[in-house]
Amino acid sequence: MLNIDRRYFADFDWTLLGLALMLAGFGVVMISSAQPPGLGPLWQKQIINIGIGLAIMAVTTLVDYRKILGSAHILYGLGLTLLVLVLTPLGRAVNGNRNWLDLGPFGFQPSEFAKIFTIMLLARYLAGVRQKPLDLQTTVRAGLIWVAPVVLVFLGNDTGSTLSFISFLVVLLFLAGVRWSWVAAAAAAAVLLLALAVPQIKSGKDYKTERIKAVYWPELAGKQYRYQNEQAEIAVGSGGIFGKGIHSGTQGALGFVPEVHTDFIFAVAAEETGFVGSIFALTCYLLMITRLLQIARQARDRSGLLLVTGIAALFFYHVMVSVGMVVRLLPIMGIPLPLMSYGGSSVMATFFALGLALNVRLRRFVN
Amino acid sequence: MKSERKAQGFDVYEEQRQTGLRLEILRLLVLAVFVALGVRLWWLQVMNHEVFAGQAESNRMRVIPIPARRGTIYDRQGRELVTSRISFNIVVSRTDVANFAELTDLLTANLEIDRAWIEKRFEEAKYEPRWESIVVKEMASPAEVAWVRAHRYEHPEVRAEEAPQRLYLHGALAAHALGYVGEVSPGELRKGAFSKENGYKLGDIIGKFGIERTYNEILTGRDGARKVIVDSRGQIQSELERVDPVAGRDLYTTLDFDVQKAAEGQGDTMPQGRGAIVVEDPNNGEILALVSRPAFDPNVFSQRAKTPEGKTEIRELYEDPDKPLYNRVIQGQFPPGSTWKLMTSVAALNEGVITPTNSRIQDGGIQLGNYFMRSISNFGQPDIVTAIARSADGYYYRLGLKLGVERFEKWLKLFHFGERTGIDLPHESAGLLPTRAVKANIMSNTIKRQRAAQGAAWTARDDQLVERESKWTDYDMAASAFGQGYNALTPIQLLRYVGGLAVGGRMVTPHLLLRATAGLDREGKAHPETRYEETRAFSVPMGPAIEKIVKEGMWNAVNGAGTAGGTRVEGFDVCAKTGTAQVASTARVGAKNKDHAWIMSFAPRDKPELALVVLTENVGFGGTHSAPRAKAIYEDYYRRTRNLPAEAEADVAKKQ
Repeated sequence: MLNIDRRYFADFDWTLLGLALMLAGFGVVMISSAQPPGLGPLWQKQIINIGIGLAIMAVTTLVDYRKILGSAHILYGLGLTLLVLVLTPLGRAVNGNRNWLDLGPFGFQPSEFAKIFTIMLLARYLAGVRQKPLDLQTTVRAGLIWVAPVVLVFLGNDTGSTLSFISFLVVLLFLAGVRWSWVAAAAAAAVLLLALAVPQIKSGKDYKTERIKAVYWPELAGKQYRYQNEQAEIAVGSGGIFGKGIHSGTQGALGFVPEVHTDFIFAVAAEETGFVGSIFALTCYLLMITRLLQIARQARDRSGLLLVTGIAALFFYHVMVSVGMVVRLLPIMGIPLPLMSYGGSSVMATFFALGLALNVRLRRFVN
Repeated sequence: MKSERKAQGFDVYEEQRQTGLRLEILRLLVLAVFVALGVRLWWLQVMNHEVFAGQAESNRMRVIPIPARRGTIYDRQGRELVTSRISFNIVVSRTDVANFAELTDLLTANLEIDRAWIEKRFEEAKYEPRWESIVVKEMASPAEVAWVRAHRYEHPEVRAEEAPQRLYLHGALAAHALGYVGEVSPGELRKGAFSKENGYKLGDIIGKFGIERTYNEILTGRDGARKVIVDSRGQIQSELERVDPVAGRDLYTTLDFDVQKAAEGQGDTMPQGRGAIVVEDPNNGEILALVSRPAFDPNVFSQRAKTPEGKTEIRELYEDPDKPLYNRVIQGQFPPGSTWKLMTSVAALNEGVITPTNSRIQDGGIQLGNYFMRSISNFGQPDIVTAIARSADGYYYRLGLKLGVERFEKWLKLFHFGERTGIDLPHESAGLLPTRAVKANIMSNTIKRQRAAQGAAWTARDDQLVERESKWTDYDMAASAFGQGYNALTPIQLLRYVGGLAVGGRMVTPHLLLRATAGLDREGKAHPETRYEETRAFSVPMGPAIEKIVKEGMWNAVNGAGTAGGTRVEGFDVCAKTGTAQVASTARVGAKNKDHAWIMSFAPRDKPELALVVLTENVGFGGTHSAPRAKAIYEDYYRRTRNLPAEAEADVAKKQ
């Protein structure tokens, strides 16, 4: 079972790991720059987070992913339990989102892990279905697996995470083989829904619609809602081509950009390393996602394919939203930028997911 | 294997083809999103870098002005009247407030600030930029400042900030002349002398009233500034540059603290608490004292404007029906009453209507059509000197009628009545003159208002009515000649008039600026020492003969058996003319509606040093109520300038 031999090292995807470490290292530097006052040296803590993440990743690669998927329902159940606990007095709200779990000295966000556990169970379930194209019954069952954690996350008022669940469900169903006509219908429904939602959003007064307006109809949005977008935009724009230099930023370091070490870490990167640094990070992310999709294609079976594609979808979604909101293309949603944002849960969950992907790649050959 | 799968109705090649296709689609979608993000970054960081770089700079750089000390205001002998000193404001930086309730508890307990007041201040500042701190207490005591400094680590949001504060050393003394300062208002920033275009900004302290306003440019120094780096909460991180402020120029007023004090004493005892006193040197128009009652303490504007008590005090000042913020000397308009007779006399003598020796004009009541105009006096056919000294009303009815309205109006113009004197104070009123045009205007407006109130249309008959009502009648002429027509003059116009009579007809502009020291203005331009420049002086044609009659009449009014005997000061040769201005509506009775008592005076007769006007509102006869006030001011002056000890002065008083 534990086949750590020369082949393990030869087949290991060092490129993917290298890219991940590069981004994590870049993140550490940026966190040191964005250090908020009174919180201890966060970059050091982040290095520990990364270390733990790497350990989790390493362990994950050791056991055949098909064995791991075999106990996906247990992990899924664990994830749901933790999400329920968040809603009990053990949970804690941070920035209005009830998504933290206090466990003595540790605190973490179960939703980060619940996402991956859900992907695992969905991948296992959909891979086992041999009906092609996907019938309605299968789709509904997949939806039920999916909806339980989503409801719990949504109850915690964590919109950003709720939406990220949609990203992998859509991709998994698409890849599992829903009819093209369904795809077309879903796309049409989405467009229609969007069209109907626009007037609602424009006249909306709660903070969620205000955040949307702040990006697409800034003149309709309240000043206080535009502020974060504007400051992030100024941070990015003032970076210029080469940036202001590491630790020489002002927008992030002086606190004009909010949540600068976590959700808005990309704003600091863009401010201090400029267009060059931003494109470097984006390229690393793009290469990682392409790499993941390649691993998915090479997977020995459908469960591996679906598992890695789901992970790629979630990873992509996080990058898109986190960077998109910093450059003011998307509304502000509190979700971390994978690998770069400060935060144990995010870093560890990401390395766990990467571990699964590496695992699939290690066992790509049918023999 | 392949065949096995096919048997299950499953084409593995088809499936692989589908999966490959769908993965490719996903890959392209991902690529498209990354390209979009990249393009956006290019747009922000390369194309629009300059714009955002500028915004980032202005975000973190803040220029904090260091207000310059305002120039000191002295009296003519260099005694301080208004100074500036450093005081401390307690401010709260809003963005650092973690727990509002806790903070209010703290401030209430330790700094004696009212809880509701703090809440109000925060509410008011809701729409101000976040980094602007809120002043919760002005003029904090040293103990309070020490408390704030001692707790700066637990409560960095509470700070003590230096603020230069205007201090009116003698409270209400000369308040209407000195004026007061205050923060520039949003309206003033929009347009006018204190607009943004002229370099003013929110929070600037400007002169709002009095000398403070007129000579704001002289008194205002050049603000310094600190260029600092701040964080998003407005906390200063470091200082890049510092330009020290330059204090404003000092200003010496023409006011004489001693004369002012004497005049204030007289103002304090006015029965209705309303009136005006103004004293000048008639030779040059330098105002030695200016008193308006009721008065106010300008310190409330400069020191307490942001405290709850101060706000209440200021509101009360604005709402007081007696208008303490109103400078009666230059804004109050009153019928001049008999003081006006000198003007009629000068006019009539100049026009040859009467001669100094024989006037052949009757005193006493007069029948004008179906109206009998009564006169308190009847001295037969008095000469002009007696008519002035005894204030013979009937004499002046007839003199006015003989003079006629054309010549009368000509002389009003020559005396520049109904025009602003040009005193260096803001808000001077022009007054109103008893001319045909003014009457026509008043009548036409009255009838128009009546018609509007009735909702009736204007007809040709109304035009006729206006014409009829506007006709200048004998009554109008007689009344105007002795000062009870459609006339309303400011005390300062009367002062210029009596001052001119004192020095042979040369009328100088009353003013308050003696000199301003050399120094820099707000823009940093250097100015040499500045003295008042007379530009509006004029002379009323009256030869020495007429001057002699005027002086004799006014001297007799005091020292003969005249109406102004109450002004007599042994050895000082006071000349004066009383006046009693009927209050417009005689229908209302009671103390509040009694006549206004005037006296206008100068002394000594041959070489005048002082000219003064006293108006006591709603008390009755001028000789009784205003004359003794003038006398008191003269006595005080006489004693000081002639080096008489106070006892000697008392002896003089006893002998009288």
